[in-house]
Amino acid sequence: MNDEIKSSCSIRTDGEPEATRATMPMWLIALTLMLLFLGGVYFDHHSGWFNAKVYSPYVSAEQLELYQPKSGAAAAAAQGKKVYETVCGICHGNDGMGKPNQAPPLAGSEWVITAGFHRLAQIPLTGLSGNLQVEGKDWNLNMAPMGATLSDADLAAVLTYIRTSWGNKAGAVTADDVKAVRAAVGGHPSITGAQLKDLPE
Amino acid sequence: MKNGFGIFLAAFIALDLSWCGFVLAPVKQLSTAKQTQVLNSTDIYPIGRPGEANQGLQAYRASGCAACHTEQVRQDGVACEVVLTSTGKNPAVVSNLVSTLKLAGLTKEEADTTSDKITAAGGKVETHIAPVGVDIPHWGVRRSVAGDFLYDYPVQLGSLRAGPDLANVGARLPDANWQLVHLYAPQAVVKNSAMPPFRFLFEVRVRKIGDAPSPDALKFPKDFPPPAGCEVVPKPEAKQLAAYLMSLRADAPLYEAPFTPVMTKP
Repeated sequence: MNDEIKSSCSIRTDGEPEATRATMPMWLIALTLMLLFLGGVYFDHHSGWFNAKVYSPYVSAEQLELYQPKSGAAAAAAQGKKVYETVCGICHGNDGMGKPNQAPPLAGSEWVITAGFHRLAQIPLTGLSGNLQVEGKDWNLNMAPMGATLSDADLAAVLTYIRTSWGNKAGAVTADDVKAVRAAVGGHPSITGAQLKDLPE
Repeated sequence: MKNGFGIFLAAFIALDLSWCGFVLAPVKQLSTAKQTQVLNSTDIYPIGRPGEANQGLQAYRASGCAACHTEQVRQDGVACEVVLTSTGKNPAVVSNLVSTLKLAGLTKEEADTTSDKITAAGGKVETHIAPVGVDIPHWGVRRSVAGDFLYDYPVQLGSLRAGPDLANVGARLPDANWQLVHLYAPQAVVKNSAMPPFRFLFEVRVRKIGDAPSPDALKFPKDFPPPAGCEVVPKPEAKQLAAYLMSLRADAPLYEAPFTPVMTKP
């Protein structure tokens, strides 16, 4: 039997072939490393580094950030929300409902939804102290001039935001409006709730 | 077998790596996805589908709609357009300047340079961001993102577009009667449609003289009247499917797919 096979297949006569080890050619290693490098470069430029928010055609989180719409009234509202939540929301609440013993509500507040904006704009510029009635409740607290350090545009955006959010439907405030109020009252000492009542809207 | 353990290890590592790439990485990346806010708005997106529409997803699945319809809009690029909103105090200077500048089809960097130039001359501009691609604005206003499918199980992405893409069909065709007539007899409303009719979702009732018509009965176009003396009434599945189709809306600008909404003029 064995002889039969041997005679019919005369290629190898020295038993079973055996795999031996051979050195990997240098060019293959170099090619692999180069492909890995190019792959890495491509990945770095196009992947957004696994950021779940980055989809094509955007290639990185920075590029996506650059393409966010940032003009017009809608963008001002977004800016107002951002400023509100970092500056005002801590006490007045991100929902505008106020917090007991910290700050009165802004949502539906008769001091916010006024036709004019001068009196409202004065509060963050000079601060407010003493008793003030808001939505039928007495609040006896102090507010620092939180808006004095904000830019005209940011303060205008945040005033617009509180006048148009949480069901409030008052008019927008522009940066020029804030500039005028700041020029009139900026640097004045804190006003009291009683004084505020006598101010025109 | 020689090197058996080595071969097993190599095969195991190869399978393991592909599992990490295809299963583990997407889970890590997307499993924490949750509702987000629509850009420059306080609206939440996506809102879960109302009950009937959610059942309609199962009707969609059962009828095999995903075999011919996709729910994914592709986007190839993004282009910026600089829009002049006010010429300011020197209208002549600004309009002269504007006529020399390229205003559409810009990258964000180019758009910023252009708007800086116009602002310096005294004009006021807005930069509009618009998605670009073969599917836009035909099938949708922006690309589909994972958030669009947050409340869908199973997700009906589809892979073959024998019929139109449905990612945004609720915004495109927001008419329940149209959807139902189209399911009952596609060719009645879309000439040369290749879609098969889904008549088993409907009941054809003979109307007896003196009977009040069913409030659900389909209203057919004039050139496609229902069978004489009969009315076509959708079964619950058909109503659910129509509700699901009308709930398919992917037209809100999101952080991951930003664009400037086109204001509809009043």
